[in-house]
Amino acid sequence: MVPGILKIVSRSIKFYKKPVLYQILIIALLSAVITGSLMTGRSVRTSLKKTASERLGNTGFMISSGVRYVDASLAERMKDNTRINCTGILEISGYCQSLTSQKGALNTHIYAVKSDFFKFHGNDSLSIKPGEVAVNKRLADYLGVNTGDELIIRFNEISDIPADAPFASEKETGGSIVMKVGRILEPINTGNFSLSISQIMPMNIFINLSDITDNTGNALKINRLLIENKNRYSLNEVYNSLKQVLRPSDIGLSLRKVNNTKGLELISSRVFIDEEVIKEIENVLPSSAPVITYLGNRLISGTRSTPYSFVTALSSSIYPEITKGDGIIINRWLADDLVVNEGDTIEMFWYSPDSMNNLIERSTKLIVKQLVDMQGIWSDSLLMPEFPGISGSESCSNWDAGVPIKMDDIRRKDEDYWNRFRGTPKAFINYEKGKELWGNNFGPATALRFPAGISGKEIEEKLSGSLDPYKTGFSVTDLSGESVKSANESVDFSTLFLSLGFFLILASVVLLSLTVSAYFDSKRGQINTLFALGFRNKWIERILFLESGLIALVGCLIGAIAGSLVNILITKALNSVWIGAVQTDTLDTFFNYIPMLIGFLTTILITMVFLMVKIKRYLKMLNRKEKENFVSHSSIRNFIFLLTSSFIATALFAFSVFYKDQELSLSFAAGTVLLITQVLFWRQYYIGWKVRIDNRKPRKGISRNYYSFYPSHAVTPILFIAAGIFAVFITGANKMNFYGEHLKRSGGTGGYLLWCENTIPVKEDMNTTSGRKTLGLDNQQLMKMSFVQAKRSSGDDASCLNLNHVTAPPLLGIDPDDFISKGSFSFSKVLSEGNMENPWQFLYETSESNTIYGIADQTVLQWGLKIKTGDTLILRAENGQPLNIIIASGLKSSVFQGYVLIGMNNFLKYYPSVSGSSVLLVDGDPKLIDLYKSTLTERLENYGINIKLATERLASFYEVTNTYLSVFGVFGTLGMITGIAGLGFVLLRNYNHRKREFALMLATGFPVKKIRRMILSEQMLILFAGVSSGVVSAIVATLPSLTNSPDVPWLFLLLMVLAIIITGLVALVLSVRAVTNDSLTSSLKKE
Amino acid sequence: MLAIRNISKSFTQRGLVLDNLSFDVNEADLIAIMGPSGSGKTTLMNIIGLLDKPDNGEITFKGASIAKFNDDESAVYRNRNIGFVFQDHLLLPYLTVSENILLPLLAARYSSDELAKREQHINKLMEKTGISDLAGKYPFQISGGEAQRVALVRALANNPSILLADEPTGSLDAKNADILGELLLEMNREYGITLILATHSVDLAKKMSRRLRLKEGKLIV
Repeated sequence: MVPGILKIVSRSIKFYKKPVLYQILIIALLSAVITGSLMTGRSVRTSLKKTASERLGNTGFMISSGVRYVDASLAERMKDNTRINCTGILEISGYCQSLTSQKGALNTHIYAVKSDFFKFHGNDSLSIKPGEVAVNKRLADYLGVNTGDELIIRFNEISDIPADAPFASEKETGGSIVMKVGRILEPINTGNFSLSISQIMPMNIFINLSDITDNTGNALKINRLLIENKNRYSLNEVYNSLKQVLRPSDIGLSLRKVNNTKGLELISSRVFIDEEVIKEIENVLPSSAPVITYLGNRLISGTRSTPYSFVTALSSSIYPEITKGDGIIINRWLADDLVVNEGDTIEMFWYSPDSMNNLIERSTKLIVKQLVDMQGIWSDSLLMPEFPGISGSESCSNWDAGVPIKMDDIRRKDEDYWNRFRGTPKAFINYEKGKELWGNNFGPATALRFPAGISGKEIEEKLSGSLDPYKTGFSVTDLSGESVKSANESVDFSTLFLSLGFFLILASVVLLSLTVSAYFDSKRGQINTLFALGFRNKWIERILFLESGLIALVGCLIGAIAGSLVNILITKALNSVWIGAVQTDTLDTFFNYIPMLIGFLTTILITMVFLMVKIKRYLKMLNRKEKENFVSHSSIRNFIFLLTSSFIATALFAFSVFYKDQELSLSFAAGTVLLITQVLFWRQYYIGWKVRIDNRKPRKGISRNYYSFYPSHAVTPILFIAAGIFAVFITGANKMNFYGEHLKRSGGTGGYLLWCENTIPVKEDMNTTSGRKTLGLDNQQLMKMSFVQAKRSSGDDASCLNLNHVTAPPLLGIDPDDFISKGSFSFSKVLSEGNMENPWQFLYETSESNTIYGIADQTVLQWGLKIKTGDTLILRAENGQPLNIIIASGLKSSVFQGYVLIGMNNFLKYYPSVSGSSVLLVDGDPKLIDLYKSTLTERLENYGINIKLATERLASFYEVTNTYLSVFGVFGTLGMITGIAGLGFVLLRNYNHRKREFALMLATGFPVKKIRRMILSEQMLILFAGVSSGVVSAIVATLPSLTNSPDVPWLFLLLMVLAIIITGLVALVLSVRAVTNDSLTSSLKKE
Repeated sequence: MLAIRNISKSFTQRGLVLDNLSFDVNEADLIAIMGPSGSGKTTLMNIIGLLDKPDNGEITFKGASIAKFNDDESAVYRNRNIGFVFQDHLLLPYLTVSENILLPLLAARYSSDELAKREQHINKLMEKTGISDLAGKYPFQISGGEAQRVALVRALANNPSILLADEPTGSLDAKNADILGELLLEMNREYGITLILATHSVDLAKKMSRRLRLKEGKLIV
């Protein structure tokens, strides 16, 4: 029976089973790497989505009031009136300590929840008993606590009045509470609940909302409203529902009757009312009139002075006597005290925060327009706002006004006035003037007054449902959607691992090429027979393609299945040894047919295209007459290339010496071009000069002449070895270590010694004597210690430690004075507009249009936020308005990774309620670093301070890069092993190619030993050429790192090169041992 | 000059190839070894040239036993005493014709005086065989007949005592086969070289003084 094509193919595969097996294994390796990488990418993203879903529970949307608090009844009204299932919580940051183990946990998320919280998340039976807390398993494990143990929990001050607001009380530094651990919550019980987008498992405490009281003793309000995700509402639906139920009381506004005017007024629990809120109210109730009352330090006329008097700015719409301009109406008491009359001038002094929130005493001169008796509208004690440190005081000397009070200045008559009239203002000016003088970031009014005739009901009704939530400090976020989006746009581990495994993939392809060539060579006789039998080219091509296709199919199938194993291994490694790259050990392996199918199809496509080209080229080569196969290699052309690349390499190297700021990239480019140059050099060595056969060194001449005809047989392995060593060497040398450069002012630490983050903000200015004294840092030894204090807004960590794509990073409000004067940090990219002398100066820029400049680490911009210099990042300011941050510069790798930096003045303007500083950079004498650290740890213990060496913080970011480099190193080493195997194949192929020549040499009297030596020496030269080219190029490419870093892993690099040389030599020696008399003699017969 | 005594050779896959062969070869002998394919002609030639070793038996060359020579001794023996011509010319494609011819000299490592003499001898051989003009050419630039003549000169470059030609005309057309046959005889006549020729060609065999016939590994005289 005539055999069919399939039979020929199957028999051929069976006959050549060993080389076929090699090909299958290599294709399987290629497929496994590709499929495994794709599956890992899918696993990581699915894990992130799973983690996000686990954290959010049933939360779909979140209504947040930011750093403000709203009435807890809002959740009930929302549920009742709009049928949207929701629950209100209070999210606060804090820290805790186990009273049993004494171990503390910083940056703990505290969720004060109502009884419906767990039900909302589907855990109907779960509840927290009063006086108890539930903690998640991670926190319990971290603290080593069990149920029944007690925790002391400290948290950020909960107060409607922003701590930095004028006249805010200075007493509070945060709350604390001791609670018993009632439950330890597993992830399934919403234990890992979090509103942040991050894969890092949070440390959570859940507490009954009723167990937390604010500083007024009232039951607390909430700051987050969680909306169920089951009904998939739209953002607009949620927004409209909120608007529908929003009442003035929800945003801290309350109505009270003003007997003196027979009208009503709206006051705020925040004391000052936002300008946006005033505008909203004025839109609905045009008759409302803003009022601002402020504490004057003193009113002076001539030599007479009246201390600490409240002065009110009123609108002429309600107080017709008030006139525009610099006029002032004063009461009789003040007139008598200052002995002034109409027409006299009074100078008023008051404290006002400057753009950096420092209190500055300002003054203005006003002309007395009218003297009024203390009765009726001019004797209105309600005009003084409810300043918490002042209102309830029995005497002036008890005031906690939040500003310096000179007690000595307070006279008996002032105390009497306080006793009789409390904070009744003594003077009145025009509202516009008052707004100009006292308006601040917290608002331009302390009340909104309504004329007589408007009822409270009317005001309530008109305002309820008509206030724009976005203008009253609310934000609505599709948390569920954004979490999925962030996970979908997270770090692409598929591409990452494909890139990291690129060298292994390349090695596999080259190895495949070599094995296929060797295979075809061994089939040459068979192919020639088919030709001789009259098979047409196409038929033979079809047979070979079918054969290769079957081999590829089996290889790819095995590889795709093995890819799952690779996925498991990589995921396990990411959860353990490579945890530095992902910062979590919670990644799961997910099997999905899509990446498996894509991996399989991609590999089979690559392999088939590659094999098709290979088959065509091989048959073309066979069809050519023998002499046509001897292609003349142009040594002149190669020489021109060699000269050109030498010149470029030298030029790049020279530039790297002179342009120090670009030396890293220039050196790398120089090294890469040098690698090409050296490969060209070796090519020139082989093809450039015909060697006359010399009687003294005959073998050398024979080898050189062979390679001059077949330069690729030498240059390919040289390139392969050199590129492999280059890749692995630069990976090792570029591992980010700390050396002098980082500790310099221009380095990533900015020259600062310590990086501190505190949970409870520090309100004191730590660079002032009084601030240091308050905090106990006035020790003589600490004199050289100085601070850069930064305010921090909430947001999702945008550093490389967060795998998710982040759109709302935390902001750091910073005063760049210190950086400018010390020349701290360096920039990799700077916006050209603005013509700033120093890029930090961008942070000083202010604008009225909610558009400011920001600075961030280039890494954060590129990978975390996926934006670039010049782009605008849109966040929401505290008052709900969009805040446009134009990215002015990208910092070189620094301690600020994870944050976007804005000027302190802008931070105060747009986030006024964020009190104190939460991030500190400490400078000083490097020798006293331990003293600084221990002192700050001790003195700021109650602030939940976490102190790190600035270098440690930088190292934590470098750990991610270094882990990636380690992964690359592992794949690179695997690639090198594959490469060494490739070298064996090159040798085998060269040997097969030249077997008859060697046999002839044997016949003409060359001993087999000398033939072996000849083969060995020429292959050793190739090995040496590859290793030296790789090492020299890599050294040039990494010269800046090598010369600057004391921590270059020389031993690792040396061992690696030695391992490659030794493995190569062993492979060569073993291969050469196979060259025997018998093996050669058999090839002497004509094929 | 060469005495073959009771040599046998077997291969794992082919079994016994040479079975207890014995014969003598004298100086300037013209010996044709004939026999069907697989009869052991090439194996016998390889054993004479010490490219292969017999399982048993003795080979003496000029009175000395050579069968147990090690690799190096075998190489020297081949280089100094044996010239090989194969069915395929086996010229190294990346060496010129003259370099190919000089190959056996390179293995010998002669002194320069001796080398000069040998080169002179080679030049004469090249003239005689009509390949002087091809000296600088590469194997792929010459014809099959020319290549085989180059292979012959290469085989004679070291002035060997024995020329082993394994099917030397097997790849040539009739005309070139005749030319090569005549050249082989001429070399025998002129230089007294012993020619041992494995061939299927009856015409060429007829020109030999002795004809040895191999059948199933045995010698049929």
